[in-house]
Amino acid sequence: MASLTIQGVSKSYGDVEVMHDIDLDIADGEFVVFVGPSGCGKSTLLRMIAGLEDISGGTVAIGDQVVNEVAPAKRGVAMVFQTYALYPHMNVYKNMAFGLRQAKMPEDEIDKRVRGAAEVLHITDYLDRTPRALSGGQRQRVAIGRAIVREPEVFLFDEPLSNLDAALRVQTRLEIARLHERLGSTMIYVTHDQVEAMTLADKIVVLRDGRIEQVGSPIELYERPRNAFVAQFIGSPKMNFFEASTLSENAATALGITIDESAIVGIRPEHLRVCAEGQEAIRAKLELVEHLGEHVLVHMIADDGTEFITKMEKPPQTARGDYIAYSADPSLVHQFDKASGQRR
Amino acid sequence: MFPTPIQRTSAPSRIGYQVFLPVAMIIWLLPLIAIFMTSVRGLKDINSGNIFGWPTEFKLIENYIAVFEASPALMYLMNSFYITIPTVIVAVSLACLAGYGLSIYRFRLALPLFFLFVAGNFVPFQILMVPVRDFSVRTGLYDTIQGQVLFHAAFQTGFCTLFMRNFIKALPQELIEAARVEGVSELKIFWYVVIPLMRPAIAALAVLIFTFVWNDFFWATVLTQGETAKPITAGVRALNGQFVANWHLVSAASLLAAVPPVAMFFLMQRHFIAGLTLGAVK
Repeated sequence: MASLTIQGVSKSYGDVEVMHDIDLDIADGEFVVFVGPSGCGKSTLLRMIAGLEDISGGTVAIGDQVVNEVAPAKRGVAMVFQTYALYPHMNVYKNMAFGLRQAKMPEDEIDKRVRGAAEVLHITDYLDRTPRALSGGQRQRVAIGRAIVREPEVFLFDEPLSNLDAALRVQTRLEIARLHERLGSTMIYVTHDQVEAMTLADKIVVLRDGRIEQVGSPIELYERPRNAFVAQFIGSPKMNFFEASTLSENAATALGITIDESAIVGIRPEHLRVCAEGQEAIRAKLELVEHLGEHVLVHMIADDGTEFITKMEKPPQTARGDYIAYSADPSLVHQFDKASGQRR
Repeated sequence: MFPTPIQRTSAPSRIGYQVFLPVAMIIWLLPLIAIFMTSVRGLKDINSGNIFGWPTEFKLIENYIAVFEASPALMYLMNSFYITIPTVIVAVSLACLAGYGLSIYRFRLALPLFFLFVAGNFVPFQILMVPVRDFSVRTGLYDTIQGQVLFHAAFQTGFCTLFMRNFIKALPQELIEAARVEGVSELKIFWYVVIPLMRPAIAALAVLIFTFVWNDFFWATVLTQGETAKPITAGVRALNGQFVANWHLVSAASLLAAVPPVAMFFLMQRHFIAGLTLGAVK
């Protein structure tokens, strides 16, 4: 068990700085998810915590100890890789026991831990198989098992679910959540999938271009995104942005805000609701309806070409090309500065 | 299915296949067949000019026994083993280590060093004949088995390193990183994780280098003088006496000399397993 403190961490490859001045506190037992588009530096940050990448500037501390110069193995971390990285020439049991054997742990203790982990992950029946004889989901569980047996202070997951199919991803996600509950260890999880981030995290760290955009609980990020990037990154489908000119004349009244040219108005698709003509904040033509079963996504296009999506329970009784009027609850309307992207 | 199995194609193409395949094989094997036929003839046939015709007498066993009686062929064969096996071991193990170092560790000189290994392969070794001979005379390695092992190993390691480095580079790097995070020391990662996955490469390279070195005639001629250190390739010449040409014995000895590389190939064959890393990632 350990907390983690990252202070002023940067990373450069040659003259190119890819991570800039990262500050982050992770409490003991917290489940933290790093999320961001590809190339944002989330994996690099995780690998710096693991010790697989050098830290160019600043410090990473696990517990009270600064670990910048500590070898990966001595940091008390265990890592689960996106590609599983199972040793192909060893069976499942040996895969999980390998690290412990190298650490000269007594054989009966190793056996206890491996069987314990196998039980938790439902892979007891596969202990004698080699990785090639396992399915993707089973392999991923072996990889997780290999991390569990080390009883690390911090678990590091590097996009562990991205190679699994959709159904398995949901199931394994749940298992990881249960595992966290059971072990209570600090976990750091990297993903580009904001659904994984929202469902698993105690705390989400949104990264972009090597900088932290916002740190907060999933609901905080959803309800009060600090800037336009976070607003669009968290939530699916992403938040609609409207320029002042796109909105109707009485939008200010309908949405309960003051509208000026330097601001962008953001409304999530699920918060737009159909209203009577004349009271609308925005009026647009129906372009396309996507049926997803439990709800429909309605693609709209305003007269000035602005496209947006609304999420509705039932498909609208409107023909394609006809107008629909929308409004939204003032408490669910966001405003961002057009130039800086910062929340207003 | 593509290509269509030959059993299911039309009759003319099937017959064509059945005719031309043996023909092609015979053409391919013609030199070997010729040598074999010579090796079972008597000296009389060869002297009377019956070189490609049907032998008048078959002396299979006599000729092959005569090889060992007429020359120190057994010693030559043993020399060949004494030269080839240590060379293979030295060259391949050095290449494994060097290849691991060059492919896994990021250091400034990794690429220049690697290119040095590659460049070494482009130097035609014949131009080194005189300096190498002089060097071996001066260091007392001339006409010794150790000397030949040393020079062979030196010349082969460059190519082996190129081969190994590229093979290790293609292994999933996460495996090594995973082991590092687990606290396995670098040498143990090499031994327990990397070496088992390199088995196909090691087998392929061992066969290749074994064949190269075993079949070498050039260095065997340049670096030896007496009989004691000659391998079989250079030694078969001794069967042709000063006044008589025993081509039937030379042929027999040549075929005997070709057996070990072939045996080596079959011995190593079960290690050529494609997709050994299957299941490691994804």
